[in-house]
Amino acid sequence: MTPQANARAELLELINSKMNRTLKYYLDTCVRCAICKDACHQYVATGDVLYLPAYRAELIRRIYKKYMTGSGRLMPKLFEGRDPEDDVLLDELYKTTYACTSCRRCMFWCPFSIDTSWVLAVAKALLLATGRGSEILTQLADSAIDKGKNIDLYTGVIREVLKGSEEEMRRVVQDPNAGFVYDKKGADVLYVALAGTHTILPAAIIFHEAGEDWTLSSFEGSNYGYFLGDTVKAKEIAQRIVDEAKNLGVKEIVMSECGHAHRVMRDFYRMWAKEELPAPMVSVLSKVDGYIKDGRITVTPGKITEPVTYHDPCQIGRNFGLFEEPRNIIRATCSDFRDMTPNRQKQWCCGGGGGLVAETEFDDVRLKSGRLKADQIKATGASILVTPCENCRLQIESLNDEYNLDIEVSAVLDLVVKALVTKST
Amino acid sequence: MDDIKVDLELDLKGLLCPLPMVRVSQNISKVPVGGVIRATATDPGSLADIPSWARSTGNEIIKQEQEGSNLIYYIKRIK
Repeated sequence: MTPQANARAELLELINSKMNRTLKYYLDTCVRCAICKDACHQYVATGDVLYLPAYRAELIRRIYKKYMTGSGRLMPKLFEGRDPEDDVLLDELYKTTYACTSCRRCMFWCPFSIDTSWVLAVAKALLLATGRGSEILTQLADSAIDKGKNIDLYTGVIREVLKGSEEEMRRVVQDPNAGFVYDKKGADVLYVALAGTHTILPAAIIFHEAGEDWTLSSFEGSNYGYFLGDTVKAKEIAQRIVDEAKNLGVKEIVMSECGHAHRVMRDFYRMWAKEELPAPMVSVLSKVDGYIKDGRITVTPGKITEPVTYHDPCQIGRNFGLFEEPRNIIRATCSDFRDMTPNRQKQWCCGGGGGLVAETEFDDVRLKSGRLKADQIKATGASILVTPCENCRLQIESLNDEYNLDIEVSAVLDLVVKALVTKST
Repeated sequence: MDDIKVDLELDLKGLLCPLPMVRVSQNISKVPVGGVIRATATDPGSLADIPSWARSTGNEIIKQEQEGSNLIYYIKRIK
């Protein structure tokens, strides 16, 4: 075989290895009804066919039809058959695939429930195999893996810098012995935050007040290997937390508010690693909602009086099913909660998911497609926007500037800390 | 070490993960090979993110210091 034929055969083998029954169903079933055009925030905002969900999948479908179906093999031109090493196709595939936020709103609208993001997982595998993976997502994934291998270099200096946040914690809870808990064997809870103190401090204050037996993970929950579409790297990043949970022998893994971290740990890690998590995993939102309901912490009802609205992050909402817990917390702490329309599983993606806030090459479509979310926020008249996902918060901060929203962006746990009645009170 | 020639200053104060690392990555090609970026961040997450980015991309942190809440990195472009 010629080198080109060899390369093609390898790429086709890769695609074929991903072709389970469900994926074939997705590729065979699309009837081009274009209902998905009204579901995708990127297509609605730009009108660019590149962002039409059916078209995103169509690029993979053309390879599939030409090489993996009888009719396509016989009449490739009829199905616009394409080759997997075709540079023009790969360029287009890169733009449409890495621009997608994997919000899966199109799947919710599709009459056949075609999961375009699943088809695009194949596209990402093809792009990575041809050396066309997203450079910045690769760097973010690689640095997370490097951090995992060299964690001893960082824990001392990070914990030293976090001492300032521990001072803040002691000031809030009025307990000179309060602080962050590290490396505690047999703790009930391993709390997995994000990098930085803003997702550690509020949780630490709440755990302290709830009398929780907790310890802080040395690793962040975010997983850019997942956004990159590299399942080997994504597994390795998630593995750091799994190994830590095993070593410490914790009873429960509590993930920060971050959206995609939940899906990686609950939905994908088992599939990649072919093992169960060493302990049950729960969102910190469910945990804190439970603390309030069970009376383990006390909040002042209606403490926050400004109008508040809530954005359902796609990964934690539509794709994970966590809708009511954050709303319960908001209702317990705020006197004027205004839900957006549409909301829950029908909500619009903010435009920043899928790693897009880090991929500056997609800034134009990210900001344009955020217009729908900006319009939703404006319509509520709220002055505080609450959302759990870090990517969503970064995006909505950008929309704040782009669309003059004049809104304060907050995490859910920040509300709890503001309304908390501490035991020292 | 005190007279490091800085080719590019980056103000990353207030940016949260992953943006400090992303901004360094975006800007490294703006200095010549052997050139130095001085990046000032405030996110403690950058303490691991930026050095691990440097190591995994083959660049080098030649000096790191803290002034109050400012975390300052001198990043040398190696390739």
